[in-house]
Amino acid sequence: MNLRLQPVQVATGSEDQESQLVFHEGFLVAVLVRLSEQHDDDVGKWFLEAGFGRVDDLNAPLFADLDAAQIWIEKRLTHAG
Amino acid sequence: MQNDDTGAGDGTARASGRTNNPLILKLESLAPLSDDDRAVLERISANPQHVERGTDLIREGDKPDGVYLILDGIACRYKLRANGARQIMAYLVPGDYCDLDVAMLKAMDHAIGTLSACQVVRIDLDTIQDLLRGHPNITHALRLATLVDEATLREWVVNLGRRSGEERIAHLMCELLLRLRAVGRTAGDGYALPITQEDLADTTGLTSVHVNRMLRGLRERGLIERSERQLQILDLPRLEALAEFKPNYLHLVGRDAA
Repeated sequence: MNLRLQPVQVATGSEDQESQLVFHEGFLVAVLVRLSEQHDDDVGKWFLEAGFGRVDDLNAPLFADLDAAQIWIEKRLTHAG
Repeated sequence: MQNDDTGAGDGTARASGRTNNPLILKLESLAPLSDDDRAVLERISANPQHVERGTDLIREGDKPDGVYLILDGIACRYKLRANGARQIMAYLVPGDYCDLDVAMLKAMDHAIGTLSACQVVRIDLDTIQDLLRGHPNITHALRLATLVDEATLREWVVNLGRRSGEERIAHLMCELLLRLRAVGRTAGDGYALPITQEDLADTTGLTSVHVNRMLRGLRERGLIERSERQLQILDLPRLEALAEFKPNYLHLVGRDAA
């Protein structure tokens, strides 16, 4: 499966700004935000700020890196629903 | 503004001037009690047990075996989803207890667990029945308390459904201030809040990441200060305005329902 990432800054109202738009077949499916120092032990992890369609999940985990996030998103797109 | 972790209170002059018992203070915040009423309530809340944080007092599916009264600390009503996600539907602060009529149910439809270390009394169902039979003032106050519990749940539904993340947290903080003040567990506009960001997230339907951001935002705007176990509200009027907090649903005697 082909996911395309596009760096972007998201106005989260916090220090969490560095972000990636995640596209699948031309459609935006997720927004990932890198957690800043304000999150202590979770700094550097990626947070599912928004997921669309099958990627929408209030209880998504935090991801250690972008690869882990993409594997999780691909699984949702393939298996969910 | 200092307050200790046991939430023993700030010595604020109470209406009764005689007790630190949160059950008595809570019921007196709703309706007048006699000396005899107070003595009975003191008796049933004697000899609490220490319960560690994160302990279930009763689980979903259990047959109710009594009424749990919280004398110190914070407990909650919650439900778990199959994936482990938790929703907290109510906080039980000192003076609060689970439903009096719970014995009419065959099985609990939710769990009650501690969010912090607690002092808890389990009251026999027979004792509750005796209490309700012989003490009309207490019965009246307990019925009012049940109405307040239901009104609070309605307010929490509004919180979850129609308020922003920041408003939800601000509203909860305003509510807890009044509820804890009614039972003498505040110091000025501060109180012990020995719960985690995860607990707050599971209460407000947010993620822990969002709660972290909201708390930071409220702090940076000079509205609150929070340590691990303590919350200090620095600007109550602004926090109440942000949350559109109207205390009418708590039905506290002696406070204008603005």
